[in-house]
Order: sequence, then C-alpha cells, then structure tokens
Amino acid sequence: MADRGYLGEFEHIILLALLRLEDRAYGVTVRQEIEQRTRREVSIGAVYATLDRLEAKGYVTSYLGDPTPERGGRSKRFFRVTANGLTAASRTHRAFQSMAEGLRFTRSFA
Amino acid sequence: MTSQSRVDHPPRIADWLLSLFALTGSDTIIGDLHEEFSLQLSKSGSATARRWYWRQTLKTVAHLVRISARTHPWLTAFAVLAGFLLRRILAPLIDPAMFALLERIQLFDRHFDAYRFLASTGIDLAHLVAFLMVGFVVAFVATEAEIVATTILAMIYAAMAIFASAYVVSKTVDTAMLWRLTWYFADSCAIVVAGVMVRSQRITHMSRPSNT
Repeated sequence: MADRGYLGEFEHIILLALLRLEDRAYGVTVRQEIEQRTRREVSIGAVYATLDRLEAKGYVTSYLGDPTPERGGRSKRFFRVTANGLTAASRTHRAFQSMAEGLRFTRSFA
Repeated sequence: MTSQSRVDHPPRIADWLLSLFALTGSDTIIGDLHEEFSLQLSKSGSATARRWYWRQTLKTVAHLVRISARTHPWLTAFAVLAGFLLRRILAPLIDPAMFALLERIQLFDRHFDAYRFLASTGIDLAHLVAFLMVGFVVAFVATEAEIVATTILAMIYAAMAIFASAYVVSKTVDTAMLWRLTWYFADSCAIVVAGVMVRSQRITHMSRPSNT
C-alpha cells in the first residue's frame, strides 16, 4: 500500500536529526542535536515516544549497541531512517516549502 | 556508599520512577540519562546535574503516562470503573463485619481499650486494606497500564474526599472532619501502592528471561 502520510512537526525534526547523525543516532545524540539546532529543551521521553511511533510506522529501524560503563552497563539503541522514512521526510519537507513559498516571514514575524 | 559518591550518581528514586512508568525499554532511557548526567556533572557540577536529571525524569514520566493512557484507553477506563464498583460493594460490608468480629471475640467486656481501638482505628485500617485490595484488582485488570489506572482511581477518591469534607465543614463548621482527610488520602495512596507493587512484580517477571 502506498503511504501518502505526512509527518508531524516533531516527527519531521526527529527524522532530520537521524539523517544528520547517520550511524551515530541514539537517544543522547538525537536529543542534543535537536536542542542545539532548535534551541528548545527536549525530554528524552519525548524523543523515544516519537522514535517508537516512527518505528511502528516503518519510518525508522533500531538496533542495540554494546553496553558501556558510563551508562551503567546499559546498551545504546541506535536508529536508522528507512527508505519509507526518507520518502515521508522529503514529502513533508516539500509540502512545507510549497506552503511557505512567497511568504515573507521576516516582515510578518520579526 | 559515601555521600560524595551518592551525589556523583543519578538519583535512584528517579531511575525507579522511570522503570515503573516505562512499558518497555526503560533500560535504554535510563542509560541515555546516565550518560548525559555524567556530561552534566563534569560540565556544571553535581547540583545542576541532579536538577537536570530530575527535570528530564519528570518530563519523561509525563510522556510515558500519556502514552500509557493512549495505548490502552478502554482497558484503563474499564479497570478504573471496575475498581470503583468493587469499592462500592465492599465498603458497606466492612463496618458490620468488624463489629460482628468484635462481638464474636467478646472484646467489649474483656479488653475495652482494645475494643475501642478496633472499633475506631481498626475499622479505618480495614477500609485501608479494602482500598489496597481494590488497587490490586485494578492493577491486574489494567495489565500494562496499572500505574495510570490506579493513579486515576486514587485521584478520583482524593478529589471526592476533598469535596465531601469541604461540604461537611461548610455545613457543620466542624473542622475535626478535616482530620479524616488524612485517612482518606491514605486510602488513595493504598490504591497506588497496590499498583506499584503489581508493576514491580511484572517488571521482575519481564526481566527474568533476559538474565538467563
């Protein structure tokens, strides 16, 4: 079945963070990447809630890394964007671009 | 454990809360928070790191509660309703049962102080046990949403107790009624305690196969 769904705002942000981080994408790096780029505090719970939702939709996959001492012997859960996820991110981005085309944000919101 | 090493570690209560509310994958979330806690600790010191950790924990718990309620909305509602009805059935039976028991052991004549205690505080304790049993039933029915279901039921009873007490005090101007609130709140806490106990038991069972 062809998936024509659009991503929610935070889902879109998370997918973009995963694409930026490539094979370094796990909870901590995703959270930090979003905080640094959007300058808004994000909870790890919000990140995982969205990642779990994206995984259920088939937009990301996850796998466990090796346990590390600074994590109290717990494993990292790495995430990767699937082909469907990439399509959804691209579709949502195009929709945003199309909607924003011709609008002058600096004049309206500055 | 020394006090220094205690402040260098993330708060254990926060970790316990996270493991209680996370349906699955609490280990990964706690691992991520521990890793960032170490970074915060070296960058900003213990107090800031611990504040950050608690802020992250509470926000994460709020998310987990929302997810849990959204994942099993009907089951949660059914469990809360079942608990409410069970409590309605049990409540009228407690006082007569306690007095029948006191009558049977003839405590009034032999140990009046014990009788007086059991006829007042004893009945309150019996109600507390009944609330605990209701909490167990709600937690078993709600399965993975046990904490959310028991917390909702406890909050309903606490709200009812506050409104009823305020109404009685406004009508009778008898502030002694407010002291009863402590028992009513203890009853609500008993429901949540039952939920926590069932949840902890479930976590132990869930983690057992991975240890082998």
